[in-house]
Amino acid sequence: MIQVAGKQHPWHDGMTVSDLLKEIDDSHPYAVVRINEQYVSRPNFEQTIIPDDTEIFLIPMIAGG
Amino acid sequence: MPEYDLKEVKALKYERPDIVNGYTDQTLYLDLSDRKIAINPVAEKTKKTFTGGKGYNLWLLWNAVQPSTKWNDPENALCIAAGPLGGTPLYPGSGKSIVATLSPTTASVMDSNVGGYFGPYLKFSGFDALEIQGKTSKEVVVFIDGINQKIQIFETSGLPDNAYELSAILTDHFAQGKPRNISVVSTGPGAKNTLIGCLNFTWYDSKRKRARYKQAGRGGVGTVFADKGLKAVVACWNNVTADTNNPADKARLKNVAKLHSREIVELDPKQNEMAKIGTTHLVTIMNDHDLLPTHNFRYGQHPQAPNLGQEVYRRLFDPGFDGCWMGCTVACSHGIKDFVPLTGPYKGKAVFVDGPEYETVAGCGSNLGIFDPHTVAEMNFYCDAYGLDTISVGTGIAFAMECFEMGLINETHTGSLELRFGNRLAALELLHQMANGEGFGQIVGQGVRKMKAIFAKDFNVAPDIMQDIGMEAKGLEFSEYMTKESLAQQGGYGLALKGPQHDEAWLIFLDMVHNFMPTFEQKAEALHWFPMFRTWFALCGLCKLPWNDIIPEDNKDTDEPAKVIKHVQWYADYFSAVTGNEVGPDDLIKMSETVYNFQRIFNLRMGFGRRQHDDIPYRAVGPVTDEEYESRAERYDNQLVKTYQVDIDGKSTAEKLATLRKHREEQYEKLKDAVYKRRGWTSDGIPTRKTAKRLGIDFPEVMELLKAKGVNS
Repeated sequence: MIQVAGKQHPWHDGMTVSDLLKEIDDSHPYAVVRINEQYVSRPNFEQTIIPDDTEIFLIPMIAGG
Repeated sequence: MPEYDLKEVKALKYERPDIVNGYTDQTLYLDLSDRKIAINPVAEKTKKTFTGGKGYNLWLLWNAVQPSTKWNDPENALCIAAGPLGGTPLYPGSGKSIVATLSPTTASVMDSNVGGYFGPYLKFSGFDALEIQGKTSKEVVVFIDGINQKIQIFETSGLPDNAYELSAILTDHFAQGKPRNISVVSTGPGAKNTLIGCLNFTWYDSKRKRARYKQAGRGGVGTVFADKGLKAVVACWNNVTADTNNPADKARLKNVAKLHSREIVELDPKQNEMAKIGTTHLVTIMNDHDLLPTHNFRYGQHPQAPNLGQEVYRRLFDPGFDGCWMGCTVACSHGIKDFVPLTGPYKGKAVFVDGPEYETVAGCGSNLGIFDPHTVAEMNFYCDAYGLDTISVGTGIAFAMECFEMGLINETHTGSLELRFGNRLAALELLHQMANGEGFGQIVGQGVRKMKAIFAKDFNVAPDIMQDIGMEAKGLEFSEYMTKESLAQQGGYGLALKGPQHDEAWLIFLDMVHNFMPTFEQKAEALHWFPMFRTWFALCGLCKLPWNDIIPEDNKDTDEPAKVIKHVQWYADYFSAVTGNEVGPDDLIKMSETVYNFQRIFNLRMGFGRRQHDDIPYRAVGPVTDEEYESRAERYDNQLVKTYQVDIDGKSTAEKLATLRKHREEQYEKLKDAVYKRRGWTSDGIPTRKTAKRLGIDFPEVMELLKAKGVNS
């Protein structure tokens, strides 16, 4: 089980960030997420595996500057 | 502790006015040439037109200088102001000061915002703004004592030059046991010996028991300060509460401040963790998106970039509260404790480094091909202590390094420095040379624009290639974002009034990553709204980070998520609560639009402010060299074929490079047209008479200037 934006979410072996974003009911075009303290950007979503028992933060938008 | 002397040469006792709804309605004027101290009222029309902060500064500066005034003429004024909301301890990010002056590198109007306690303490001492004219050959310290209602000018001797020690000594000297009451503005030897000097504004860190500082970095404001003979300006105040600004509706203020403050406490840990890692989270994110400048903005990515990422600084930063203004819950001003430099006058001694922030990491790290966090920390420490802008230092050295690597300059020009990307010791040596006004550092310290002229004249380097790779516009060095793939951000930099700093618009993600603004009209709308809203923070004495670096959870469901309208409404409520003037979001834009257009007209008055002055180097637009093109060949080939319908079969890289350049430069010119139209400007980039009239800046001298420049409608 992982926690996504404060809610419990079932985890499965080999789950990538891309997989997760397809599974959750949220159409926002996230460009960055955090897995615990690790920041992951969209170009790496497909190859980044989410470990079990982690907390995922969906960063709404990088405003920068 | 060095022996020093402060001899009072002029003093003025004054009666501090009550602050009414965030305003004192008077400004403090100093003329250092004849030691004059005066207090001037703020006219009601000035208040209504310019709001405060940067708006007040621009009006004071406009009246102080002539079109012929140079940055180092005595009449050039250095102005510092908070704003009507500045100094509110409840609302996050309410402690900003704004500095404005004529810049040594752009020769036109420069503004730079900074944290620390000075702006609020200046206002609480009785002054909405400080204007300093004149010059003195004997260095002086100015003391604005709001508690005892006295202004003093001291001639000084024996004080150290560097801001690190100077800030500590002057804090201790004036504090009378209460160092939190003191804020020191100073610069350092680098500001005297270069044109890219910054100002350090202190805030007192009670936990660590030390004066710490933030920087007004851009455009050589510290160089103007040093040139005037100012050693420091010190403000003294005590007891800051919600009542100090005397808000019109305290209950409403407390309510909206609590909403924003609590939201940050709840959401920052779930988002960018700025209270823990500042802006360093941006390093790897920018790198992942090919946006982190490396090797003088050639590329946006480097495999070693994670060495400079948040995971490293999370370990290096000293944990604890790091708010540069009281009560700010963003609290992003982190620092490194017991850092031991390997070079320079502090070699082997433990010091506290204030920073680094993202801009410094990218400017003094990746853009120089340096991926060692300790070198970045050392560059950060010395830039601050020497009074040098980390962005201009980074972008300036990056340009010199690329010229060296291209063989345009060599060891005979650099004084034997092997200025290759990644050479940490050479970068540090150059920094020390800048501070001392010695060797090749003396040339690099002139900034990129003057460096280009010197290289062409003295070293016989071809100007065209330097124009392409020298990352400056209007005379200001670019801050640290890649813009090649974001036309909107090319405009965000190129169309910015003071030069390429990202405080007006940061549209890379909206444009490039999310593709939210595919048309010219959409980009132009963004390049209208965002600069206008961001300008508003500088009018009021606020930091923009709470607006859009911590985002409400329901923001994504709003019509225009990029604007974070919930927060914009909170800011309108905040302004209404403090000033008593009931405003909505559109009124905030109108306030900014007035000042923004006035600044553009001010540029025109100084001989700039036209279309040609919004040009940017091609490195900001697309690949300059074959090597750059080939590194992202698929991207560029695709654009040529799909977007511009070019048949690239059999074409060499050089041919494709030239074709791409032609198209991309055309796009940038079309963007200028769209933005000028949206802003109510002529096709030459000048506000029309109609626009000036609509905004209430149709002063006789403004209208005469527009007429003289051929603007008749």
